[in-house]
Amino acid sequence: MPDVNLTIDGHKIAVPAGTLIVEAAKTVGIEIPVFCYHHKLDPVGACRLCLVDFTPGPPRPQTACTTPVSEGMVVRTQSAMAVAARADILEFELANHPLDCPVCDKGGECPLQDFTFRHGYPTSRIDGPRLHFKKPIPLSDKIALDRERCVLCYRCTRYYDEVAWEQELTTDERGVKSFITSQFDQPLQSIFSGNIIDLCPVGALTSRVWRFESRPWDMTHTETVCSRCSVGCSVTQWERRGQLVRVTSHENDDIDEGWICDRGRFDYTDVNDPSRLRMPSIRGKRSTWADAIGAVAAGIKGKGAKLGVSLPQDLTNEEAFLFRRLLDGPLKGAKVKMHGRTAIPAPEGDTMRIKEIDDASVIVVVASDLENDVPIIDLRVKKAVSKRGAKLIVVHPDGVDFDRNPHTVHIRNAKGAAAAEVRKLASHESLQNPGGPVAILFGDGHGSEDMNELATACGDLAEKVGGKEMPLYRATNERGALAAGVAGWDKLDGVEALFSWGPPPTAGIPSSAKFVAAWDHLPRDGYQEAVVLPAATFAERQGSYTNVEGTVQFLRPPIALRPPLKEGWEVLCELGAALGVSLDYAGIVPIQREMSLQAPDPSPEPMPVLIGPAHP
Amino acid sequence: MAELRGSYGDQPNHILTRWFGTPDLHKLDVYSGKPGGYTALRKALLDMAPADITNEVKTSGLRGRGGAGFATGIKWGFINRDAPGPKYVVVNADESEPGTAKDRYILENSPHMVVEGILIAAYAVGANQAWVYIRGEYDEPYRMLTEAIEEARAKGYVGPQPMGKDFALDIRLYRGHGAYICGEETALLESLEGKRAQPRSRPPFPAVKGAWGRPTLLNNVETLATVPWIINNGGATYAKLGTAKSPGTRLLTVSGNVRKPGVYEVENGKTFRHVIMELAGGPPEGRKLKVFWPGGSSAPVLPESMLDVTTDAEALAAARSMAGSGGVIVMDDTHCVVRAAHRLLKFYAYESCGKCTPCRIGGDWAVRTYERILANEGSQVELDTLQRVSDGLQNGRCLCGLGDSAGWVIDSTLRHFREEYEDHALRHECNVGAVTANA
Amino acid sequence: MSALSAHVLEEIKELPSKYPQPRSAVMPALDLAQEELGHLTPEAMSEVAVALELDPGYVEGVATFYSLFHLEPVGKHRFYVCTNLSCMLRGANEIVDRLKQSIGVTQPNQVSPDLLFSYEEVECLGACEFAPMMRLDHKYHYDLTPETINDVVAQLRKTGLLPTRGEVAPPHSSGGGPQGRRGSAGGEIQAPKKPRATRKKKADG
Ligand SMILES: Cc1cc2nc3c(=O)[nH]c(=O)nc-3n(C[C@H](O)[C@H](O)[C@H](O)COP(=O)(O)O)c2cc1C
Ligand code: SF4
Ligand code: SF4
Ligand code: SF4
Ligand code: FES
Ligand code: FES
Repeated sequence: MPDVNLTIDGHKIAVPAGTLIVEAAKTVGIEIPVFCYHHKLDPVGACRLCLVDFTPGPPRPQTACTTPVSEGMVVRTQSAMAVAARADILEFELANHPLDCPVCDKGGECPLQDFTFRHGYPTSRIDGPRLHFKKPIPLSDKIALDRERCVLCYRCTRYYDEVAWEQELTTDERGVKSFITSQFDQPLQSIFSGNIIDLCPVGALTSRVWRFESRPWDMTHTETVCSRCSVGCSVTQWERRGQLVRVTSHENDDIDEGWICDRGRFDYTDVNDPSRLRMPSIRGKRSTWADAIGAVAAGIKGKGAKLGVSLPQDLTNEEAFLFRRLLDGPLKGAKVKMHGRTAIPAPEGDTMRIKEIDDASVIVVVASDLENDVPIIDLRVKKAVSKRGAKLIVVHPDGVDFDRNPHTVHIRNAKGAAAAEVRKLASHESLQNPGGPVAILFGDGHGSEDMNELATACGDLAEKVGGKEMPLYRATNERGALAAGVAGWDKLDGVEALFSWGPPPTAGIPSSAKFVAAWDHLPRDGYQEAVVLPAATFAERQGSYTNVEGTVQFLRPPIALRPPLKEGWEVLCELGAALGVSLDYAGIVPIQREMSLQAPDPSPEPMPVLIGPAHP
Repeated sequence: MAELRGSYGDQPNHILTRWFGTPDLHKLDVYSGKPGGYTALRKALLDMAPADITNEVKTSGLRGRGGAGFATGIKWGFINRDAPGPKYVVVNADESEPGTAKDRYILENSPHMVVEGILIAAYAVGANQAWVYIRGEYDEPYRMLTEAIEEARAKGYVGPQPMGKDFALDIRLYRGHGAYICGEETALLESLEGKRAQPRSRPPFPAVKGAWGRPTLLNNVETLATVPWIINNGGATYAKLGTAKSPGTRLLTVSGNVRKPGVYEVENGKTFRHVIMELAGGPPEGRKLKVFWPGGSSAPVLPESMLDVTTDAEALAAARSMAGSGGVIVMDDTHCVVRAAHRLLKFYAYESCGKCTPCRIGGDWAVRTYERILANEGSQVELDTLQRVSDGLQNGRCLCGLGDSAGWVIDSTLRHFREEYEDHALRHECNVGAVTANA
Repeated sequence: MSALSAHVLEEIKELPSKYPQPRSAVMPALDLAQEELGHLTPEAMSEVAVALELDPGYVEGVATFYSLFHLEPVGKHRFYVCTNLSCMLRGANEIVDRLKQSIGVTQPNQVSPDLLFSYEEVECLGACEFAPMMRLDHKYHYDLTPETINDVVAQLRKTGLLPTRGEVAPPHSSGGGPQGRRGSAGGEIQAPKKPRATRKKKADG
């Protein structure tokens, strides 16, 4: 788009046509305060905090968040008119605000505090009694709402409606009595609910998982990658005194656009579980690492197909690389089952990128309930549909959340017959002349579909209509494990020895297993008789994941590993040694270097490539 | 037949109310039997090009009667008649501005005049579908309009080929459910779409993106009811009435402390003295007029000394008020301005949609301040607060006009009646004879 | 047991197709529900939501915005007395006082002991030339005096079940009155509503 020239507070700038004044100002470091405006939501001009004045324009302050720049425009954020307008708005905002900052979770990172300091009147002119609402009420077991602090910017409800396509969060009443509420005071159920905490510009919406535990300034925070599924959203993990106390979103436009799902946000308390395993043990008795590793090696070595291995969904590429060496050697022939993996075969080449969904004119979703399988991709698809009018075709036996849009074409296939429906799609009217790229996202129907057939059908469709495919792997590092050749999908019944890495197999520890080695971070039933190795969690672990689209991302552990806990790679090296394989690495970086050297070139499958330091 | 209180009968300055009072005027055959009844629609559909109709309305100089006074013909011209896809005409029959009853007066007396105006407008802008958004409390007008549309449908005026013209026209009604803000055009559209009625930020304007995201022409009932006369008699004829910038006649609802309250059709440019003292008979025996709202409660007040201001938009603007909805509320010297302002602020606070900060908070803040003053707990602080809140509500601070209106009530009453405020706030007394109980 | 009868739910399901977009059906649907039940319970709102394939929260947000939806029980007959400026200047407050006395209540939205009446004070009803005035059920009453209030109430008491509802109201009309829960000054929220709604998670079928 052509650039538009304008002046903001004396700075001459050129920005793309269509840019809003509020965004243009940022490019020269000018802060226009905002409450209701959020760059991922449609502007509504509700809070009126962003008032500025500009010529040509009416002789009144105007909202910078709804006005696009125009050629030759002169914007003044510091004219007397604009300054007074914003100060007045802040004063109105504070007229009923409880000012309980000392006990507010938002204290220290609160725009209302900051803006009042920078744009408000220096002294309070507020008199008289304030309006009262009942103090924090639960919106769910994860989120609390304090209506007195709410500035009614409607970010939370707009997000719910626009982005998540749900209305279980709503505004009741009108005028000064308006308040945010969950529908009929029922707990929020959306898997996307937690984003409203990040969106809320004041301390009205807070995490109940984190509430009052600490203030922002006594935490350290680290930008890393979520470990809960294959999407690999960027997150910020907050640490305080060795504990993981909060997870928030961290915008990465290529993947998550600043949203995370509730699994990624709230599913972290196991890291701080006081019952965490910290010492190795053999049949309930504490042992040294050396003894325990020796016992594991003795129990699993040379068992061939009588050994079962259960892999966690979030093993790192580095761990997978090392484990592959064991599988090729002393553990050859073992049955391997990876948690949460799909029946989708390894990709044959590049697959579609998440970001490319943004360009699609037609999106076809087959055999997957995105909302639960790959949550944040679900939001990307919704955006394409509601903001750009992309057409959506779903092939799935059951109802899905996309049905909320009346224009969604939902073809309900019989279980196992998705491929047949996909073959018919080539002649579907929306695909006859799609008018742009077609995105084909396919899952495995949680095992109900014949994946060879379905993958072929999707491939054929892509070829016919000019589409790109995205196989929807679900397990966190399924793609990396597939590339490393360790992502097994075997049945573990009947094995005599079990190496249970991560949580126990979904079907439970097979009763046939006479020897069990468990490498886990929490104690579980059935570990009394096992050799147990304590494991690091995602918050302490080093390494990388390959996400659903094939991007390799490095973890930056927010919590330092406390001995005697060891890094996964370290344990695998020691186990290798005990099994007679030389895995002699001084750290994770040499492993990564070797992996990148081994990557076939040109790589049909992105092998983990070092893209900068793994650790800050 | 509805009781008539106001103008009716064939008088030289009666354009809208000329046949009011005719028994059964709400019936199609009676209306058609009167000179001009449905002849404008026939003329528009069969003898005029759509652009000519719009031009005729432009020539007339007709200005919107809903409150904002925007030039009607120009507004029609904003709709791209050739844009593909549906277009709508939406009729604002939400009449809720305090002191305004004219749309009800029209709908109860001559619904066919409105139907005819709607059909002409729809044809002119290329809309096949019109929606009338009518306030929920208007049971009788709703019934009469529904019946009128059914009659017109039976006659073929509403339908696939009105008067044989190959241009389908349909009118449907949508009932409001109690919210003043639905009179604001974009809030009305939100409501019509089944949402909470919170105004939209403009642009885009309804002419580009209106009902259900489609180009939409929005007009008030009285505006459209005037159109048949303009088509029948020519825009130029209409433009000769009234003043140069505010041509024609309009319906003024005169209410409050007058002897003959009613809806009067008045040629623009007459003085309020004529309207209030002559047409409406002035205040009751023994009382003096103190203040009046010239254009609904949202129009800044004018004191008795300004009775000679004329009813046209320009004169009112010069007097720092506005023509608004034509609701003339008259208050005599037995009533207290502070209490009246308090009552209106309660209205604006109650009706605030809550979308934008100044109006949501400010209206309520003002009400609580008035309450302290009226409870004799006031001081200079309260007076300053009122002024501050009033300033914070006006001049672009709010998203829609409701906030400004609330500010104007405070501002104009303070401006003209500072002493009454000071009596209350500083001296804790009310110097008005008969104080209305718990106003 | 559903709150709304099967035929009303059927009727509601027909509504969305009558509008360019289905959400417009929310208010007409709530009218039907209110017509049947007198006021809108959380159950009824949730059923309307399910019938229209919306989240109950959406319906709740709409229903609580508009004053003509009643969220709490109302009397069989409902008085909406205009107390806005033009009516106030002509004695609306005395009308309200007399009405309270006549129907035996002390405040707006309170239902009279015989369950026949409730009232509220409303904003301008667009009939200021007849001030003071009120809407009683679906009919306007003009030029009120304390005496006419007495007469009207007495008349309703005598006929008891006088069917003013539906007398002039066409089908799909609005039912009754606002809750007056949104007085301008208060900010306190009401006691939590009973958790009721069933979230329609998957639109199956
Ligand atoms: C708060 C507010 C309330 C309004 N109420 C009404 C109303 O009840 N009826 C009406 O016709 N216009 C009302 N308007 C004006 C409308 O927004 C709009 O300008 C008008 O309907 C356009 O029609 P017109 O050009 O024919 O006047 C209101 C405006 C505001 C800001
Ligand atoms: S709860 Fe927070 S995000 Fe939601 S409206 Fe209030 S201030 Fe805005
Ligand atoms: S979508 Fe997956 S990666 Fe993203 S936050 Fe949720 S669980 Fe984590
Ligand atoms: S001015 Fe008042 S009514 Fe208008 S949008 Fe703002 S809050 Fe709503
Ligand atoms: S940020 Fe612009 S109006 Fe809220
Ligand atoms: S003020 Fe009562 S009807 Fe208008």
